Amino acid sequence: MNAPEMPDPLPPAESTEEQRIECLSLLASLQNADGGWGFRAGGQSRVEPTCWAALALFQSSQPKNNDTYRKLQEFLHARQLPDGSWPTGPAGPEMSGGGWVTSLACCALAGSAESDQQLRAGLQWICEDFPRDSSPWQRFIRKLRPESHISSQSDSYRGWGWTPKTSSWVEPTSFALMALRESSREKLLKCASQRRESGISLLYDRMCPGGGWNCGNPRVYGVDGDALVLPTCWALLALRDAPEKPGRALSLAWLQRAFAKIESPGSLAVAEMTLEIYGTQAPVARRSLQDWSAEEIAENGTHVIAWVCMALDAQRSWPGVKQQIIAGAAR
Amino acid sequence: MNLRNRQLIPSFSRPASRVMIRKVARYEEDLFALIYESLREFQLPVKDKTILLKPNLVGLDPQGVMNTHPAVIAAARESFLKLGAARVMIGDGPAMDRDTQAILESVRLKEFTGKLGHDFCDLNIDDVERVVLETRATRLKELFLPKTVLGVDFLVSMPKLKTHHWAGVTLSLKNMFGIVPGSCYGWPKNVLHWAGIDRSILDINAAARPDFAIIDGILGMEGNGPIQGSPKSAGVLLFGDDPVAVDATACRVMGLLPEKVEYLGRAGTMLGHVEVSKIQQLGEGIEGVKTPFAVLPEFGKLVAG
Repeated sequence: MNAPEMPDPLPPAESTEEQRIECLSLLASLQNADGGWGFRAGGQSRVEPTCWAALALFQSSQPKNNDTYRKLQEFLHARQLPDGSWPTGPAGPEMSGGGWVTSLACCALAGSAESDQQLRAGLQWICEDFPRDSSPWQRFIRKLRPESHISSQSDSYRGWGWTPKTSSWVEPTSFALMALRESSREKLLKCASQRRESGISLLYDRMCPGGGWNCGNPRVYGVDGDALVLPTCWALLALRDAPEKPGRALSLAWLQRAFAKIESPGSLAVAEMTLEIYGTQAPVARRSLQDWSAEEIAENGTHVIAWVCMALDAQRSWPGVKQQIIAGAAR
Repeated sequence: MNLRNRQLIPSFSRPASRVMIRKVARYEEDLFALIYESLREFQLPVKDKTILLKPNLVGLDPQGVMNTHPAVIAAARESFLKLGAARVMIGDGPAMDRDTQAILESVRLKEFTGKLGHDFCDLNIDDVERVVLETRATRLKELFLPKTVLGVDFLVSMPKLKTHHWAGVTLSLKNMFGIVPGSCYGWPKNVLHWAGIDRSILDINAAARPDFAIIDGILGMEGNGPIQGSPKSAGVLLFGDDPVAVDATACRVMGLLPEKVEYLGRAGTMLGHVEVSKIQQLGEGIEGVKTPFAVLPEFGKLVAG
């Protein structure tokens, strides 16, 4: 059932720093006894919220030698599956396959000497995990089917899926690209650069015609898909050191336009970070992160309060450092 | 299909289902009075129970075309409370966008329901429980499903009346895709597509069959649904104690043949009734509200006469 009732929300914080401290404090308090975090207070410990908490609480400027970090690291080590991946679901003997959170776990554990072995295994799994839709057999089958006109995307690029043996999608591909980028070259398999190139090509191929991304359906039955804020942000973050293409600037411009209408703390936090990392001026938005108290933000899930912590952290290292604002960068 | 599952009862031994059609021209009408009176006629066992309303919240929808209208959701919630329910929760797990709060803001749900707090459950990030799929309509042996869905006393599927570019129609059975948690299976829940959409619908509904269905057909969607289709006003709400029968009736209202909808035809053998003779029709007659919906050419076979 639902999470236990949290105390009545406090009025929204007055300053950014005050809010950041409140959010960090609340996020830290949500750690379960097993070292993991649930999506809600007192919820089942899961890999994804634990990774987001790790990324928010332990940016590179913060010490990693405390009990909170040790416990979360132990949790992530214990949840890694024998094949090197991490599962999206809760622990249990029935969970035999990992998924996209492997990329997130690799980002969360990057730079940790104690996690070197786990990181190598995770990166190897990412490099060897191919989606099913772009296999030579599936591509052959698709050519024979009358409905091959449904979408206009190329099936020659291979990204990553949410779960193994499914299709490539924008967000898991973006997270895999970020995990591969942040890991030192010696940890990566030889095929990593080829996988990165194909993943980057897939992101550009799946971009919506007007810029930005949705889950990965830019055009279905001849109708252009609408971009969404979160997939657009993750794709832009994954592409930030990829070769410049017109699509990236177009998507950044889409995000600038969309930013003004964002009404949820999760999208607002991730969009703020994305624009800052690109050195792009964020327009005045309908809402501000200060509109919500830490408790109200946490009602959206642990991942959301973690994103807000990161967005409010001027010293953050993940998903990237702030760049000096370049006027008209998105034009 | 495996008969050990208590949801699976062969059509011949299942009692007749009841479906009610009510005419409603606009969302501004007194929906609470209409829905409360309609539900009361069914004499549902909801007193002191916890109820989950599962609307179709599929994406950002300021025009109110693709999602179950918040006025219908709010009126249903109020009605179940007035009927004596101890708690009426609302929950969904949007399939294409993980920012559920953004979707709620875009449909202005809070303006209709008031602050919901923990009475709203984002099913995408709920705690989950492993459910073995005894139906084996797909090759999936199990699914993680939200504990909230599995733990409530009474589950109500509340879809929008829409055509669907892959399944033909999306009504109360297809709406249950939304209970499959994105945090386990992604956005979209692509593992279900690979397992086969029609067959997945059967597995999911056998694992968590709705006790009741309310379809928002005041304004529906035709053509390339469930997101990019065209608005189509049908001016009806449908109610029923068998989601299969409600969906079959909704198809007939849309001028479509339910037995030709692959998953619905199969659901009619085990999960509920598709045949008109097994459905007790209440309220308006189908002919009086029939509003032909356009479908994509691939689904031309669904069009009646």
